[in-house]
Order: sequence, then C-alpha cells, then structure tokens
Amino acid sequence: MSLAIDVVKRSGKRPTESFDLDKLLRSVLAACLSVRTPEGEANDTARKVTGAVVIWLDTKPAVTSHDIRRITSTHLSRFHPEAAYFYQHHKHII
Amino acid sequence: MGNFDTASSFAIILLAALTHASFQLSISVLTLLSGHALGRKTAHLRLLRLSGGFMLGAGVMTILMVSFVAYLLQMLLPATTPAIIWAAYSGGVIGVGVSVWLFYWRREPGTTLWIPRSFARHLADRAKATKNSAETFGLGLTSIIGELLFTFAPIAISALVLIRLSPEEQLLGILLYAGVSLLPLLVVGLLIGGGHKLSDIQRWREANKRFLQFVAGGGLIILGVFVYVQQVVVTAMSVTGGYQ
Repeated sequence: MSLAIDVVKRSGKRPTESFDLDKLLRSVLAACLSVRTPEGEANDTARKVTGAVVIWLDTKPAVTSHDIRRITSTHLSRFHPEAAYFYQHHKHII
Repeated sequence: MGNFDTASSFAIILLAALTHASFQLSISVLTLLSGHALGRKTAHLRLLRLSGGFMLGAGVMTILMVSFVAYLLQMLLPATTPAIIWAAYSGGVIGVGVSVWLFYWRREPGTTLWIPRSFARHLADRAKATKNSAETFGLGLTSIIGELLFTFAPIAISALVLIRLSPEEQLLGILLYAGVSLLPLLVVGLLIGGGHKLSDIQRWREANKRFLQFVAGGGLIILGVFVYVQQVVVTAMSVTGGYQ
C-alpha cells in the first residue's frame, strides 16, 4: 500500500520514492523476528508501530527516509525495546 | 631456527592467533547475516547451515592465508632468517599494534570498523542477500580478506616462525593458529545456534569494543617487542660475546 507522500532518500543522490507502508511493516517485522520475537507478537508490534508512523505522516507531503527511520525507532522503543535496538543499530554493525 | 625453540615458536603462534581472534570483522558479518536470516523467518536448521558455511569459509581462508605467506617466505628467505628481517617484522607488528589502538573502530556509535566503506557496504549487502550455505562460505572467505589490513601482521609473524619448524610442526602450527583465531567466531555461532538474542550479543560487543581494541593492539605490541628482543637483541649479544 502506497500513501501519497514522497520519501527523500538519505544521501539525496537517489530519486525520491512514494511512501510504501508494506516496506516499513516488513522492516519492523524483520527487526522483531531478528531478536527472536514469536511471530504473532512480531506481527502485532509491526502493525502498532506502522500505525503510529502513519498518524505522524498524516499531514506531511514529503519526508526524508532518515525521519521515517527515527520516528519508527521511537515508536518501536515503546513497544519492543530489544527490536528497537537492533533496528537502530543494524546499519552500524560492520 | 635462530633463538626460538619449538615451545617458544608455538607460544608466538598462540599469541598471534589470540591477537587475530580479537579482530571483529567476521563476527560483525556473522551477526548481520544471522539477523537477516532470522528476519526472513529462516528455519533453525537452515540458520545453522548458513552460520556453519560462513565459519567454514573463514577457517579455510585463514589456513590458506597462513600457508600462502609461509610458503612465500620460505621461497624468498635464506635458510637462516637475517636479523634485519626480524627487526623489520617486529617494527611492522608494533606499528600495526599502535594503528589498531588509534584507528580500529570508527568514531560513531555501534561497531563500525575502520575498513573501506565501499567494502563494508559490499559485505553488508552480501550478508543481506545470501540465502544458501555456498554463498555464506564465500562470504566467510571474503570477510577474512576484508580485515587483512590488520590481521596481516599476526599472520605474517606466525608464518615467519612456522617456516623454521619441521613439516609436522608446521601443520600443527597452522591448525593451532586457525583454531584459536576462529574461537570467538565459533562461540558467537554457537550462541546464535543456541537461541541467544542477537541484540544481546551486539550489545556486549558494543559495550566491550574498546577493551577488544586494547587487547588486539596490546597483543601485537607485546608480540613485536618479544620477537625483537629474542631475535635481534639476544642474537646480537650472543655474536658480540655479551650474552653466553
């Protein structure tokens, strides 16, 4: 599902893309599963987090991918701190 | 074989391997690889196969690297290694040790290593895309190459010591080096296979990264000083009659 919101990529070199809710849901779900959360709980957490992000996006015509990541991390920290840690840090492992 | 008896040769190989074991690139790649595999709902047995393939690749490349450098040195050096070579090696190892203290981690959160960013991105992309054990084997090979900037020092000093041993002892030395240097990778692989959370493993690594850096750099400096004293200073004193 795509909302009519443009996402500006982090480096600014790649073209903008439409916000993809399924992509966000998959990334949060993957973070939850990576820390061995049971599948049902992981799905539930992913839905709650993406729901909160969609509310935040409601009034914005364009956002950066960095902002989406930051807000998602904030909400994920409330619902699942372990998954939030992995979500925030997986780009800083290597 | 200069001033080294077999016991001190194996002690040097052991110290070099322990220093090598404190380097973290392979562990980072294994953590990332397992994270992506778990995130894709990979079955447990398949996860074990992927980790096993990665560790096997890292082990094979470590053995190949030590054997290759030892073979090269055996071809290039005379029967008795000149003191100047030992001095140059010791200086190089101490230099790498100081560099590890100064540069090993990047000044940013997480466990980001001081390796070329394009190479780190390549490893991260491959860890995400890899789905079978043959690919993880290749990734294991590559991760050892990626850290050669730092691991070349312990590999080279072990190779220099190895070529003065008998063929049977050489084989034992290579296996000892590979076994010890891969121990942390094996431990992390077992922890992941045993069901531990990746977030706990990564938190521990992040909390102790400065200690690991200190151990790796300090180990190299001690190794360099020991080899210099044993092979250059003691040999010079023996020749001039100052040490009997």
